Amino acid sequence: MSEVLKQYSPFLELINRVDDGRVNFDFRESGHASCLPQPAMIKVEHVTKRFASAVAVNDISFEVLRGEVVGFLGPNGAGKTTLMRLLATYLAPTRGRVFIDGLDVFLHSLEARRRIGYLPENAPLYPEMRVDEYLSFRAKLKGLPRRKRRERMEEVKVLCGLKDVERRIIGQLSRGYGQRLALADSLIHSPELLILDEPMIGLDPNQIRAVRELIGALGRRVTVVLATHSLAEAEAICQRVFIMNHGRIVASDSPGRLAAQLQCNVSVAAEIAGPPDEVAEQLRCVRGVLTVQLAEPAAGNLDDGAVLWRRYRIGCRCGTDIRPAVFGLAAAQGWPLRELSLEAFELEDVFVELTASAGR
Amino acid sequence: MANIITLLKRQLRAYFHTPLAYVIMAAFLVVAGLGFCRPLVQHLGERIGVGELLFGAPYFWVAVLAAVALITMPLFAEERRSGTLEMLLTAPVTDLQVVLGKYAGALIFFLLMTMPTAAYFILLKVVARGMAAPDWRPIFTGYLSLWLIGACFIAIGMFVSALTRSQVVAAVGCFVAVSIFFFLDTVRLVVPGAAAQEALTYLSSAQHVREFAQGIVDTRPIVLYLSLAVFFVFATLKAIEARQWKQL
Repeated sequence: MSEVLKQYSPFLELINRVDDGRVNFDFRESGHASCLPQPAMIKVEHVTKRFASAVAVNDISFEVLRGEVVGFLGPNGAGKTTLMRLLATYLAPTRGRVFIDGLDVFLHSLEARRRIGYLPENAPLYPEMRVDEYLSFRAKLKGLPRRKRRERMEEVKVLCGLKDVERRIIGQLSRGYGQRLALADSLIHSPELLILDEPMIGLDPNQIRAVRELIGALGRRVTVVLATHSLAEAEAICQRVFIMNHGRIVASDSPGRLAAQLQCNVSVAAEIAGPPDEVAEQLRCVRGVLTVQLAEPAAGNLDDGAVLWRRYRIGCRCGTDIRPAVFGLAAAQGWPLRELSLEAFELEDVFVELTASAGR
Repeated sequence: MANIITLLKRQLRAYFHTPLAYVIMAAFLVVAGLGFCRPLVQHLGERIGVGELLFGAPYFWVAVLAAVALITMPLFAEERRSGTLEMLLTAPVTDLQVVLGKYAGALIFFLLMTMPTAAYFILLKVVARGMAAPDWRPIFTGYLSLWLIGACFIAIGMFVSALTRSQVVAAVGCFVAVSIFFFLDTVRLVVPGAAAQEALTYLSSAQHVREFAQGIVDTRPIVLYLSLAVFFVFATLKAIEARQWKQL
């Protein structure tokens, strides 16, 4: 029996790897070695960081797999920056251990740092240096060989849109360019793991979109961890979101599923033209409906000639979709219906709910 | 080693890309020039030791102490304030390399700043034709003492800079610390006890430079300054590493 098991052990390992549903098989490598499980890109075990005045990070454990893009969300002072600093090896935890690519960052700090591209909060830079000079300094410090340095600098300058300021003095650049330069610096040694602390601050909407696309493109090869307090950002970029509050992770899941967890009180918006009182009355009789609110008609918007459009907000019971019933009702009564939509909970609602309740 | 050189170059660029370097150098050379001229004019027609011309003047040494404080103040305080220290210490370089790179940068700046004073002696030789040929040996020992003291005090200044995020605090702290150390023979006057007084005299840099300026090379102060320099470089390293365990 054991012989048989041994024979199939590569397959068993494969199955083990698949269980989280995320593992990509790499068929380029052949043989048994490729079947061995790779260490998670980040593994954090019961990490606590205590400062004299407060516990910034309190007994946090999580794992981030290769190629994942994860976001840490939380209000100010939730411990995001401290956590990023712990991951980037700038601080050492009071308790617990941090592994980057299977390396304990306390014992193999330099090895771990070679794999990390780190963008600290506020993108600190040397104001007296020129853009090219700074990138060259950082590339040297990160051990890029001379031949590759030029080439790689050109690549990141193009990638981060720095070509037109390459000769400028950093102190004279705008905030957005500074942010992009710091991002270019974090990318210059082609890291496997990118740690970004508030990467979008100071960027205008076009730049935000560009950086989002950049992170999205990198996310296929590079593991990205970003701290942010912008929900839209996390929702747009991240496959997985950790919500932090008071140094703890209070929730973690994909943005969509996090929102779904809270979707017990769903509401439906309907725009119906009909006698308001009668419509509301009839809607209340629909199975699963708890409340019906008549929204104030927005001036000009709702009156379409002779037809009187009214917007209704219908609160309904968990797990029921009342939209077909509402449509049926409107059709039966002959009331024109021009909008019927589920008002899904946004990540923002989850965020507010979780961080507010944990704060109490 | 490559990392230390990269960091050293960055530090030197940081000095010369800001007006600070030129202001410090110019101010230092003006005061040093005064320190050179004054005994020359005072002792006109008398015989004096050539080493005492520059290295015997208290002005000159006060200028050295002030310059050291200004050279070392930005080393870590500025990087801590602006947050660039975080960028530096998360790059794949060791804390020791960062400390040594900065120390070497400051030291080289100190050498560059003091080197032009050699022109005073050359000028003296060229201009004062009637004067007896100056003895170069006390001049060499004078520079030896200057650079030894520089190496030691820069390490002290760097340590103070690593403790704070304010450059002003770093500069004042360093100036006070090195001044007390330099003028220990004056501090001696207010300390009771003959043994303590004698000990302070041995430690006083003012005492050492007087001997060096006369051409006397004593190995004891050499060992003292070199070991103090090593100690404060080490202390700086510990102050930087402290972020890892300190509960800020």
